[in-house]
Amino acid sequence: MRSPRPSLFPLWPALGSLLLLTGCGGGGFAGDSQARQDENGQVTVRMLVNISPNLTQAYWDGLVKPFEQANPGIDVKIEAPTGKGVADTLPQQLAAGNAPDVVETLMADETLAKQMLDLTDQPWAKDTPLAEQAKLGGRIYTVGVGVQAQSLVFYNKTAFDKAGIELPPTTFDEFDAAMGKLRTAGYLPLQTGGDFLTGLQLLQLTNPSRAQTHPTWQQDVKAGTIKAGESMLPHLERYRTWIDKGYVDKNALGMKYADAETAFLSGKSGMYVMGSWFTATEAKADKDFEVGVFPAPVDEGQQHPGPQGATLAAPYMILKSTPNKDAALKLVQWLVTDPAAVKSQLAQDGNFRTGVERDFTPLEKEVQAILDAAPAGVPQGEGYGDASLPKGFNSAWNTEVQGLYVGKSPKDVAEGVDRWLAGRS
Amino acid sequence: MTLTREAPVVAAPPAARTRPRRDGLANALMVAPATVLYTVMLIVPVGLAFYLSLTDWDGFSANPAFVGAGNYADLLDDPELRRAAAVTLLIAAAGTAGLNLLGLGFALLVNGASRANTFFRIVLFYPHVLSALVVGFLWSAILGTSGAVNNLVTSWGGEVLPFLSDPEWATVTMIAVLVWAGFGVNVVLYLAGLQAVPHSLIEAARIDGATRWQVFRNVTLPALGPSVTVNIVLSLVTLLKTYDLVVSLTAGGPAGQTQTVAYLILWNSFHDARLGFGSAQSVILMLVTAALAFVVTRLRRRGELAVHQ
Repeated sequence: MRSPRPSLFPLWPALGSLLLLTGCGGGGFAGDSQARQDENGQVTVRMLVNISPNLTQAYWDGLVKPFEQANPGIDVKIEAPTGKGVADTLPQQLAAGNAPDVVETLMADETLAKQMLDLTDQPWAKDTPLAEQAKLGGRIYTVGVGVQAQSLVFYNKTAFDKAGIELPPTTFDEFDAAMGKLRTAGYLPLQTGGDFLTGLQLLQLTNPSRAQTHPTWQQDVKAGTIKAGESMLPHLERYRTWIDKGYVDKNALGMKYADAETAFLSGKSGMYVMGSWFTATEAKADKDFEVGVFPAPVDEGQQHPGPQGATLAAPYMILKSTPNKDAALKLVQWLVTDPAAVKSQLAQDGNFRTGVERDFTPLEKEVQAILDAAPAGVPQGEGYGDASLPKGFNSAWNTEVQGLYVGKSPKDVAEGVDRWLAGRS
Repeated sequence: MTLTREAPVVAAPPAARTRPRRDGLANALMVAPATVLYTVMLIVPVGLAFYLSLTDWDGFSANPAFVGAGNYADLLDDPELRRAAAVTLLIAAAGTAGLNLLGLGFALLVNGASRANTFFRIVLFYPHVLSALVVGFLWSAILGTSGAVNNLVTSWGGEVLPFLSDPEWATVTMIAVLVWAGFGVNVVLYLAGLQAVPHSLIEAARIDGATRWQVFRNVTLPALGPSVTVNIVLSLVTLLKTYDLVVSLTAGGPAGQTQTVAYLILWNSFHDARLGFGSAQSVILMLVTAALAFVVTRLRRRGELAVHQ
C-alpha cells in the first residue's frame, strides 16, 4: 500500500542548484506563474512543436508571423524538440523548470491534464474538431485544427489494373484475394515497415472492424471487461498469414517509416495503409502511377464503410504554469480558429475539417469523401480523452506485433500485449 | 670515512604552531571548487535518482507518491528489462573484445613515426568524431532492407540480407557498428601506451634472439598492462550505457530485440511517463556498471602484479 504523498520539498535545494547551474528560469510546475515581459513590454510565448518533413521549423515560423504582426506586443518563439520528440522533451523541460507556454502534438491524458490549462470555459474551444470526444472528465484541455483520418488504404492504380482488381476490397476476405492477385502480378501486395509503422498500420487497418465488435474498446480494456490482445487475436492471426504467404515483406522490419513510404511511391508495392497526412507527401512525390485510396475493409457481415479511425490534427494545449496566459490563449485561439491559419495547417500536413474549403488534390478529395461517408470517428490504439489506455500502449503494441515477423505466434503476441497492460494497471 | 651530522635543535617559532591550521584552511579552499562541482554534478543527481526511484513520479506532477522499494520489486518481474540486460551484457562483452582487439591491432600497425601513419591515425579516429546518431542513420541507410548494400545484392539477383530485420543479425550489426564507431579511441590510448614501452627492453629481447611475436607476447604486451586495463574498463562502461546508436540504427527493433538497458530507461522515463521506475533502473545500472568496472580493475591489477613479480 502506498503511503500518503510527500511533496517534492526535499528536492528543491537540489533542483535549485541544478537550475542555478543551467541558468534556467521560468516555467516549471503549476503555480509558479509570473508575468514575463521584456523592458519594451513585449511578451514572448514559447511554443513546443512537432518538426517533421511536412512541418519544418521554417513553416512554423511563417505560420505564426501574421499573428505576431496582428499582435505587436506578442513574440512567438517556436521551439523544436530537443529529445526524440515532443513527448520526450516536455517532461524534460518540466523537470528542468523550463516548460514552454504552449505545446503542440500531445493530447491530454490523466497525467498531462494536471499540468494543462482547462479550456472548457473558452467559448471558441467547444466548436473545434473532436472537442467533445477528446474531453477528459468532461473538461477540454486539448483543442485541434482538424481531423486526421487514420483507416485509409492507399493503392497503386496501375498495380490494381495489372492485377485485374476492378473494385477496391470492402471485406478482409476480398482484401486477401486482392493481395493474392497483386502478388501474382509481380507486386509486393502490402507495404509495411519497421520503426513504429508495424503496429500503427495494424491499428489503422482494424479500426473500422474493431469499432463494430467493441464500440468502446479503450474504455472496456481500461475497465478490464475485455483484454486488448485477446480481442485483437483474429486480426493478429490474419496478419501472420500475410507474412507466411509473402503478402508483406518478411524483412520489412529493416525499413524505417520514410523508407516504406518511398518504397510505395516508387511503385514496387500495391497497397499502403496510412493516415490522411500521407496525401501531403504523395502530392510532392515524383511518380509514374496514380494513387487511389479506399476505407479500411471490415469483416464479413459488418457495415462498410465502418467507423473511421480519427485523431486530432495539430492538437494544442496551454501549460497551467504559463506566466503569459492571456497571450498563450490568444495564440491558441488564433491557431485553431483563424481561417487562414487553419487552412494553412490543414494543407501543410494533409488534414481535414468539416466546413473548411481549401484547394484539394484529387487524392485529398477522395479522402474527404471517405470522411464524409464514415458513420463515426473512433479513437485509435492508446486513444484520447476518457477513451485512453496507459501511456506507452502504442509502443508496446508495436513491439509485440513486430514479434509476428520474428517467429512469435499470434497468441504469444496477444498475451504479450495483455501482460504489458496488466503491468500498467 | 663516514660523515655524520647532528641535527640542530631549534626551538619552533611561535608562528609555526598556527601553520598546520592555516595550511588546512588553504587546502580546504583549494579543494572546495572541485568538491562543490563533484557534489552538484554527481552526488546530488545520484541522490536525486535514488530518491525518485522510491516514488511513482511521472515526470509531470509536483507531488509523487512514495512507493518504497516497489519499483525495485517491479524490476524483478519485468521481462523487458531481463531481455534488455542480456542484450546489454552481450554488447558490452563482445564490443569490449572487438574494440580492444581492433584498437591494439591497429595501434601496432600505425605505431611508427611516418606521414602515412599520421594519416591513418586520423582516418581511424574519424568515426569517433561523428555523433552516434549520425553514425546510426548512416549505417541504417547502408544496411537497411532498402539500403545501399541490399540494393546491390538484389540487383545481382541475391536475397535481401536481414542486417536490421532479424534479431540475431541486428544485434551483430549493432555491435559491429559500435566497434567501428569507437575503436579509434582505443587506438589512441594503445598508441600512448606503446610509446611508453622502454625501447631498451625491446632491443635487449631482440639481441637475445626473440622473434617479433615473442617480443610482443613477452615484452610489449606485459608493459602495456595499465593501458589494457584502462581500455577495457572504458570500453565496458561506455558500452553498458549504449543508447543513441540504438535509437538511430534499430530503434530497439526488430520486436524490441536490440533494446538496451539505457534505451529502456529513457523510454520508460520519458515516453511512458514512469520516471520513478526509470530511476530505479538507472540506480541498478549504475551499481552494476560500478561493480563490473571494479571487478575488472581488480582482476587486471592482480594480473599486472603477477607479471611484474
